[in-house]
Amino acid sequence: MSASAAQKVDPAHATLWARRYPGHDMIGTRTFGFWLYMLTDAMVYAALFATLGVLSHVVNLAGGPSSSAFINPVYAYGETITLFLSVLIYGYSMVALKNGNRGGVIGSMFAAMLLGVVYLVIAGIDIGNMFAHGIVPQVSGFLSIFFTLIIYHALHILVGVVWMLVMMVQIAREGFSANVVYRLINLRLFWHFQAVIWTFVFTFVYLQGMVA
Amino acid sequence: MLVHLQGPWTPLLGRLTLQQIPFHVPILVVTFIVVAILAAVVLGATTYFGKWGYLWREWLTTVDHKKIGVMYILLGLVMLLRGFVDALMIRTQQAMAVGPSSPGYMGAVHGYLTPFHLGQIFTAHGLIMIVFAATPLLVGLMNIIVPLQIGARDMAYPYLNALGLWLTTAGAALVMVSLFVGNFAHGGWYGFVPYFELSYSPGVGVDYWMWSFQLAAIGTSLGSINLIATIVKMRAPGMTWMRMPMFTWASLSTNLIALTSFPVLMVTLALLGMDRYLGTHFYTAGMGGNLMLYNDLFWVWGHPEVYFLILPAFGIMSEIIPTFSEKTLFGYATMVIASFAIGGVAWGVWLHHFFTMAAAPSVNSFYSVTTMLVGIPTGVKVFNWIFTMYRGRVRYELPMLWALLALFLLLVGGMSGMMNAFASSDYMWHNSLFVVAHFHMMVLVIAASVFGAVEYWFPKVFGFKLEQKWGKWFFWFMILGTGWVFVPMFLLGFGGMTRRLDYIHYTQWSPYLHIMLIGMVFYVIAVVFFVAHLYISLRDRAKNRAGADAWGSGRSLEWATHSPVPAYNFAITPHVNARDEWAWRKENGLTELHPGDYESIHMPKNTGVPLFLGILFMGLAFALIWRIWWLALLCVALIVVLIILRSFDHDTDMTIPAEDVEQVESDARDETSTAIRPAGVLGGTAIAHSTLQSGTGGISGSTSPSWTPMDR
Amino acid sequence: MTEHTQNPLNHPEVQLANGRAYLASFIISMLLMTAGLWLAVTHITTPFGTVLVTSLLAGVVVIIQGYFILHMDISHAQMWHTVAMVLFLPLFVVTIGLTAWMFHGLYQRTMIMPPAASSVINIPPMPSMSH
Repeated sequence: MSASAAQKVDPAHATLWARRYPGHDMIGTRTFGFWLYMLTDAMVYAALFATLGVLSHVVNLAGGPSSSAFINPVYAYGETITLFLSVLIYGYSMVALKNGNRGGVIGSMFAAMLLGVVYLVIAGIDIGNMFAHGIVPQVSGFLSIFFTLIIYHALHILVGVVWMLVMMVQIAREGFSANVVYRLINLRLFWHFQAVIWTFVFTFVYLQGMVA
Repeated sequence: MLVHLQGPWTPLLGRLTLQQIPFHVPILVVTFIVVAILAAVVLGATTYFGKWGYLWREWLTTVDHKKIGVMYILLGLVMLLRGFVDALMIRTQQAMAVGPSSPGYMGAVHGYLTPFHLGQIFTAHGLIMIVFAATPLLVGLMNIIVPLQIGARDMAYPYLNALGLWLTTAGAALVMVSLFVGNFAHGGWYGFVPYFELSYSPGVGVDYWMWSFQLAAIGTSLGSINLIATIVKMRAPGMTWMRMPMFTWASLSTNLIALTSFPVLMVTLALLGMDRYLGTHFYTAGMGGNLMLYNDLFWVWGHPEVYFLILPAFGIMSEIIPTFSEKTLFGYATMVIASFAIGGVAWGVWLHHFFTMAAAPSVNSFYSVTTMLVGIPTGVKVFNWIFTMYRGRVRYELPMLWALLALFLLLVGGMSGMMNAFASSDYMWHNSLFVVAHFHMMVLVIAASVFGAVEYWFPKVFGFKLEQKWGKWFFWFMILGTGWVFVPMFLLGFGGMTRRLDYIHYTQWSPYLHIMLIGMVFYVIAVVFFVAHLYISLRDRAKNRAGADAWGSGRSLEWATHSPVPAYNFAITPHVNARDEWAWRKENGLTELHPGDYESIHMPKNTGVPLFLGILFMGLAFALIWRIWWLALLCVALIVVLIILRSFDHDTDMTIPAEDVEQVESDARDETSTAIRPAGVLGGTAIAHSTLQSGTGGISGSTSPSWTPMDR
Repeated sequence: MTEHTQNPLNHPEVQLANGRAYLASFIISMLLMTAGLWLAVTHITTPFGTVLVTSLLAGVVVIIQGYFILHMDISHAQMWHTVAMVLFLPLFVVTIGLTAWMFHGLYQRTMIMPPAASSVINIPPMPSMSH
């Protein structure tokens, strides 16, 4: 495919039909499409962060608490540790996949999934605490976007956990077929992307919220 | 968490009560009767002719990109008609309700529509035309043509393709349902806050608007992922980037816009939804919300969306004009650059939709300048098309006529757009009819291109050309209508008339409004001619059979396969050697389309899952609109279960054996001289599900290929 | 292209898994995020300084993660992933940046209020949240 359009092909010796053309790379095409989807999800976050920027003025507090008043860094840091650890262990699961080690893939994925559940528990306790103190999305424009961002991220973790559960069943049932492998790569993209997004959420919502 | 609602609510039916059915609006009752009769006729005919199985196997469960494209276009045409009827009603109301002494009928003080009803009509008109007419028409065309132009067997994700179609259809169906169950939003298609907040619009209209919009957004995003992956990953060997046909380039840049901008629309609508359902304060007037945030986010999507619509139109013009000038496209590389420049600039102009927000002067100036920048790549394109025609052998057949109309309208719309780009001027005519006339010129560019594209690619999909006589009547009456409606609209805009008026105080505007009504009569006649055009073409299809190269001067790869296209597109994947591959093959006498020695072909299998998902998503949206929580939860659960179950399905592919390919291909060869069978649209049993027909002499392998058009 | 369609495990996107890179990414990300947290908790610099430094740290972490765990590089298998991401990056900047710029000006011009005024505003009681 390196021939440029400027190069003229000699019609007498041109290939007109690509016989026994193997077709496109199925796995690569699937993962590319999924990556495009992940980027649209990143765009969703971009819009949410833009909203956070707009609704961070003092008038957007509407007399409600500012984030520095109620953020508990212990929970956020705990979520950081569990999520990054889960991402690391999912990475090891992919190393096991590379070696064709079925038990390794399922075992690591189970650990990664458990850490995802731990994340959800921590996030649940954190959000529950805030709600219990009357810090709810309905108080002010700022709190609306604050909770939207962290709950939207937690929903991704929930989806990831369910997906891992499904994938463990599929690996057990059919081994490393092409379908299972492309889904595992997509799940890797999805799960590892959550770490990237969390870096932003942790920094811009929690850390910078504490000094706002 | 949920917001307290006024009015009745029951756990079983939510807000849905018998009072929500508009028995008391005569227009809607008559509409309902007509729709019911039409539906009964269609369903009855399908049953009578025993076509349910055919419909299910060949269309509803298909994953074939061509059939999905055809269904997209049908959806677009139906919604185009609905949007047109809306326009007719708006124009009639405005012509009637002029001056304090104008009479009122059917409960209206002036004219025949109450302000609430008119508000629903212009909201529906805008949303339908943009999201459910123009978008499906263009997405359908891209669906059909792009895989053919790059020599692919199908789209990258055929299943996702069908899902995109059914989600869009679900959105369109919801808009239609809102006619008879409840009502539609009445504040304009792009919405206003805090007017669209629950406290000011407590009805279900805004919810209908929001969820149908959201479904279309999801459907279109899925489609854009699919088209981009198809173009990037599925090109035939030899199809390098700089050999890609211009329509494919336009599709790539336009889908990049869709891919990047639609997520922002989803956020915009979702935040509004949270305000309405959970009582958050994103866009509220008090409590720390920000009204302008809504406008900002909406137009972050909204302006790229405009270019998402216009770029495929440019792509269509870039295909039609070279074909009917019998010359290669002038300035190919600059065309590519211009497409991407338009796509890039599209991302930096959105504030020009709300110059009057009171942003800092530096901000307004920035957006003024970026808006004017759009003129440069667009100008490049206009000149390239003109230079393509220059010294070409221009043939004024129908597709070319439409392309030239699009070019002319682009000049009018583009120039008036440049006038709108000045923030200072915009303060004077913001929300006036001048702006409305401007963007209608631009969407008519899209309409003209789409009609041109339908004429142009129709023989490729169905194997016969549309007839020319009634098509030309349709064309000329569309021009008459456009002139009579939109020239007065520009003038009224200068006169200071604002958009969306249900009553016009100044009687001196009356003549203009009546001239516009005459224009609408021309449009109605044009629609009649369009129907006649389709009917006569279908009746006389035997006369209008077309071969692979239907126009005789096709240049790109889609003309290098049979018309109608077999299910597998190309029996053997073509190897591309030049930019205008088909033109290059014709010049070198390499037009043989029966390479022989066929291999079996691997294809995706039909599936009903996308259709069921579409129905479930529609059910979910309906449940959320009426706040029927149990139904919403049920639909979500079923959607999740269905998606997971589908992922366990191994039986998703099939293989077309080499003998079947051989059979289909030889049928295509034989039919040149034998009796003509009905076209694929009406049936057929072969594996390709359409009969095939090769046309011009060049295909049957003679040494002197004749590719002169058949009707010249 | 054919060899890895035979065995999906030979696909380059499976083969690029790298345990050491994942571990490196984990350690660096944790260290830098911990540093950010320390800055925010101790208030050791000005608020603006903290915002600036934590943003920088986040930027570094994201680049590390993008390279080590998302494998954003220009290898044959990952090329188009990287191209797509590079295409999106300016749009993230445009969306957030231009919006922030617009609203910064807007707030300056329309919401003139002394910093202390927020405490003076009388807050209406919360609307009922039943159903």
